[in-house]
Amino acid sequence: MENLQLLLDGFSVLFTLQNIGVTILGAVLGLIVGAMPGIGSLAGVALLLPLTFKFNPTTAIIMLGALYYSNMYGGAFSAILLNIPGDSPAVMTALDGYPMATQRKRPGQALLTSNMASFIGGTIGMIILTFMGPALADIGLKFGPAEMTALLLVAMTSIGWLVGENPTKGLLLTMLGILLASMGMDTLSGSPRYDFGSIYLLGGIPFTPFVIGVVGFAQVIKLMEERNKKTQVSIEKLTIKGSMLTLHDFKRLFFPAVRSGFMGTFVGVLPGAGATTAAFMGYAAQKSFKNEEPLGTGAIEGIAACEAANNGAAAGAFAPLLALGIPGSGTGAVLLGGLMMWGLNPGPLLFTNSPDFAWGLIASLFLANIVTLVIAWGVIPFLIKILSVPTKLMIPIITVVCVVGSYSTSNSMYGVLIMFLSGVMGYVLTKCEYQTAPVLLAFVLAPLLESNMRKAFIISQGSLDIFFQKPISLVFIIILIAIMVFPVVRPLLIRLGLMKRKAS
Amino acid sequence: MSSVEQKDRKFGVKQYIPIAMIGISIAFIWMGFAKYGFWEDMKGPRPGFFPVIISFALLVASLLALVFSFKEKAPSWPLENWLVPLSVVVIMGTTFIIGLLPSVGLYVLVWLRWFEKCAWKTTITVFLIIMGIVIGAFVLWLGVPFPKGLILNLIAN
Repeated sequence: MENLQLLLDGFSVLFTLQNIGVTILGAVLGLIVGAMPGIGSLAGVALLLPLTFKFNPTTAIIMLGALYYSNMYGGAFSAILLNIPGDSPAVMTALDGYPMATQRKRPGQALLTSNMASFIGGTIGMIILTFMGPALADIGLKFGPAEMTALLLVAMTSIGWLVGENPTKGLLLTMLGILLASMGMDTLSGSPRYDFGSIYLLGGIPFTPFVIGVVGFAQVIKLMEERNKKTQVSIEKLTIKGSMLTLHDFKRLFFPAVRSGFMGTFVGVLPGAGATTAAFMGYAAQKSFKNEEPLGTGAIEGIAACEAANNGAAAGAFAPLLALGIPGSGTGAVLLGGLMMWGLNPGPLLFTNSPDFAWGLIASLFLANIVTLVIAWGVIPFLIKILSVPTKLMIPIITVVCVVGSYSTSNSMYGVLIMFLSGVMGYVLTKCEYQTAPVLLAFVLAPLLESNMRKAFIISQGSLDIFFQKPISLVFIIILIAIMVFPVVRPLLIRLGLMKRKAS
Repeated sequence: MSSVEQKDRKFGVKQYIPIAMIGISIAFIWMGFAKYGFWEDMKGPRPGFFPVIISFALLVASLLALVFSFKEKAPSWPLENWLVPLSVVVIMGTTFIIGLLPSVGLYVLVWLRWFEKCAWKTTITVFLIIMGIVIGAFVLWLGVPFPKGLILNLIAN
């Protein structure tokens, strides 16, 4: 009950004209950015980060939260109408969404199914977040430097290990992100470190231009390959009236959405798993239930399962982010970086020290969920126009936003230079099949990892025993070893299995 | 501009990344030990302690990545893609002469009209939208003092 009271207090923080305004603005921008194929939530949040500098921290993060959240809705639009997922979690939505829109000639209903399922999944995720967030923070209060070090290592390694096909590349980029973050000044002693005599590097690599470059600018360079592709929208007209769901449709979507909403939320809480994994798992689980039509042929149950799961995961990911300061994905890392820029330190003490902020943000997610549902419904007639914007027009627009946005964060061309260099680095890495999310996560978490690791070693006087003596850190170390060893051992096990099969 | 991807066991771009990382890790390890210090009995970990540990991990990961890289397909590098970074270099250069806002405005016009061969109507519409966003959000709302460049500064003085 105490949590509900605190949530109501959060709503009282939220209900100012400015906060409601930015929630709506974030929801609209998130839907548009999410709907446009090729941009995605990570780039969207990164590109819009400079626009929040005018606000106070609570308002700024409310806007980013709404933007991130509504992006999950938007990603499904292009998946359903064009068979091009706007974001990776929407990949599964396309499997049933596109056939429902084109073969079954029910595009509006497919969009509304996706919106309703997202709403249900998101609501479940937020209710669980309301109770789980403070509970996780209570557990986090018991963590000392050794436990935090072990937990951060698990979080960093798992995202590096799980994202992409090659765990070695994930690990390489995680380490690179940490090293880049350690440039500038030693956080504990205050002495210069790896500044190479540059007055600019003494302040470290600025977060916002770095993120805009690695994600946004790298994406524009990649978009050049698609600039001559013409967007084919096979649906001629969409209306709100023609998009209404029948009671039977609603019954079909409700239970898969509730089931997947719960599953997605718990997947979202795990570091590294995120909305994409949740959508895959929600869809896979739905296959084992009875469906009116086979999945993959335009079944409402298929759309509902993956959309509810990815929105549940998006909400669930806020629990470790706020309570422990551990983001579950690249987008979460950008949000965490944003919080730190405004002087807020997410972690076990956030709910105690900044309750207005923590509960205001959770309340804003509830509001964003409702606002996004309404806007997503209202925007249906305009979707064909939004999706028809040619990529070749998007390239100069995003390039200018990258240049101007990175300049505005430092009021210097140094920001533009960092954006440019990190963008080229991000592009080269992506082309060589390195996923850039681990760099961002490591870049944001590195100072926290370093301070906890050094404190742990000061306490233990240089002994590694400290990580094995306490039960919580021991559990995390075992998980860490399992995460690191499993991908290496798995191919060997598969080979051994194959050899045995061949011999038999 | 070949976009054909091929399995390439020869030395190439795929190997440059792990090799660059090996170089970075060795440099960080050397600087960490020699310049910043690793550990002192009385004071405990020094500023180089954490980066050195991470650099060792990077070195191991880079060596593994280098070994695996010979089994990977070589990516294609369409030359056209590099026009975007090139245009940003030009924007940075012209900013010192005519200022940032005229530079980005000029870039949009040149890119759309002469590179993309868009109609004047489309070019002007996109130009107005972009400049509206930049001036509205960044100049008027956020109050960002964009550089004016040599020419405007000379005129102002």
